[in-house]
Parts: sequence; C-alpha cells; structure tokens
Amino acid sequence: MSDSKKQRRLWYSVGGVMIVAFLAYGATSFKSNLTPYVSFEEAQKAPRKVQVAGGLVPDSTTYLEDSETLQFGMVEEDGDTMTVLYKGVKPGNFEEAVQIVAIGTYSEGVFHANQLLVKCPSKYQGLEEAPRSYGSET
Amino acid sequence: MNRFGLALKWLLFVWMIAVIWAAFMWIPSAQGFKGESSRIVFFHVPTAWVATLAFLVSCVASALYLWRRKPKYDFGAAVSNGLGLLFAVLATVTGAIFAKIMWGAYWNWDPRQTSITILLLIYAAYFALRSAVADPEKRATLSAVYSILAFVTVPFLMFIVPRIYFSLHPDVITNSDPNNSLDSAHLKVLLASLAGFTGLSVWLYSVATRIEEIRHRRRQEVL
Repeated sequence: MSDSKKQRRLWYSVGGVMIVAFLAYGATSFKSNLTPYVSFEEAQKAPRKVQVAGGLVPDSTTYLEDSETLQFGMVEEDGDTMTVLYKGVKPGNFEEAVQIVAIGTYSEGVFHANQLLVKCPSKYQGLEEAPRSYGSET
Repeated sequence: MNRFGLALKWLLFVWMIAVIWAAFMWIPSAQGFKGESSRIVFFHVPTAWVATLAFLVSCVASALYLWRRKPKYDFGAAVSNGLGLLFAVLATVTGAIFAKIMWGAYWNWDPRQTSITILLLIYAAYFALRSAVADPEKRATLSAVYSILAFVTVPFLMFIVPRIYFSLHPDVITNSDPNNSLDSAHLKVLLASLAGFTGLSVWLYSVATRIEEIRHRRRQEVL
C-alpha cells in the first residue's frame, strides 16, 4: 500500500517536472526559431534567400512601367532603412502599405525581392459609402 | 430522443443559418479589405476558438482520467483532441486563404503560421501515440499524460507567440486602439458566430463520445 503510494508520488513529481520543463522549453525555444523575418543587418550578411519585414518609407516609391521594376525604401522598427528592388507588377494600393514583407537576397547595396507581401490598412468596419446596411438594426 | 435535445438541435441549425446569412448579406464590405475577404473573420476566429476550447476540454478530461480511471474520460479526451485538430486545420486553411487574398501568398511562415503548424504536429502526434499502444488502459494513461503536456504549449502557440513577434496577422481583438476595433455590427455577428460554433462543437462532442461508448460496450460484449 505505502509502496504504491510512494510510486504514485514519484510519478506525480516526474509529471510536474516535465510540465515545468515543457513550459521553460516553450518560453525559450521560439525566441529565435519561430520568426522567419530577419533584420536588415542580418539580411545584408546572409548569402541565402531571406524574408525582411518593415514599413514603407513615405514617398520613396518609384515604378518603371516599361521594365516593371519597383523600387522603394523600407524602414525597420529600430529605424534602419534599406532600398528594395522588385521585378514585377506593382501590387495594388502599394503606397498605402502599413507593413511589407520582402522575400529575396541582398546584393550590392540593394535588396532584390522575388516576392512581396503587402498589408494595407484595414478595419472590420463598414464602408462609409454603405451606411444603409446599418439602418435596419439601430 | 428527448424533446429538449431536439429543440436545441433545431435552434442550433437556425442559429448557424442566421450567422451565415448575416456574415455574407447583412454585414457591409469592410474598409481596406480586398474583395469580400473581411467576412472570413466570422468563420476563422470561431474555428480557432473552438480548437482552443477542445484542447482545454481534452486536458481536463485527461486529468480526470488519471484521477478516476474511467474509460469515458479517455473517450472524451480523444474525441475532444480530434475536434480540436479538425478545427485547427480549418482555422489554418481559412487563414491561408485570407493571407493569399490580402498579402499575396498562402504561406510565408509568418509566426502565426509557424505556431499553428507546431500545434497541429503536437496534436497529430497524440493520435500517433494512441494508435501505437494496443492495451486500452495503457493507451488511455499514456495519452492522458501526453494530452496534458501538449496543452501546456497551447497558450504560448495560440496567444503569446503571435503577439511578441512582427506578424502580418490582424490584431483587432486584443489591441487597444479604439479606431481599429470591430464595429458593433461586426462584433455582434462575430459573437453570434462564436456562440454558434461553440454549440456545434458541443453537439459534435456529444455524438462522437456516444459512438465511442457504444464501440466500447460492443468490444466488451465480444470479449
């Protein structure tokens, strides 16, 4: 009887230790592994394809229609800026972007992006043009 | 079948139809979203919520199993994790569709996408563990312990990670900017949808656990 009790207590403490270990692992491991975005500084050193994230530098956008080349400045949270070159059609509402993710490689002073993810400001609020839809409720 | 249960089922049916109708017809197009993509919020958020709830229920049922050793708690835990996995997959898929429309790619390993992938793997492993142990009691004990440990990671993966890192994911539920919150129409439909999906998951849970109990009884009769 006391033997099985002892064993049970052992298992409980093993379980408790494991839960704490999982917690600690969870709290520390995703520090570096979970985000695919690297800082501009790291991007400049990295030889492989990386993702950088940041905002758009206001009035920095130039787009050449003929060659479908988009050039703009990107600014990071800590204030670092970097010039990004993207070959392709300019995404719609690009100038309004609040967050941009660029995927590509850095070389010779510019970041050459193969792909752009653009987040424009959006709100879960009805368009001003359609206030009638609210009328029926309030 | 008792009348009350039947009435509840009909209520759920009508409720869900009303939610779907409101999400597509009553809610106007939202500001700044491409096309009608904002409407996915009424389905994406509830599926993620139900997944979290199901993992919590499984954790509680697993703890009850370890305490009471009754097979029904084991069934509850397994069924609940199955539901959690299903709804987590639905949240991932709806999220990827939204990402494609709004940002331009289905998948870019945004922290939100990475964390849900880890969560899916953790809970898929639960079923791998279950299928690997033949003895029912041993299986129940091992999977109960695993389910509790797995749930420890849920708060991190669902709530903390996406808030610490830069993420493209919209953050309208927890942010403090009143200008960026849901308007009252959106909020009403979202809450109604959360209630509806919760009801739906409770119903699915009760059906699935009853099936498991019948299976269990059958197995014992054969033996």
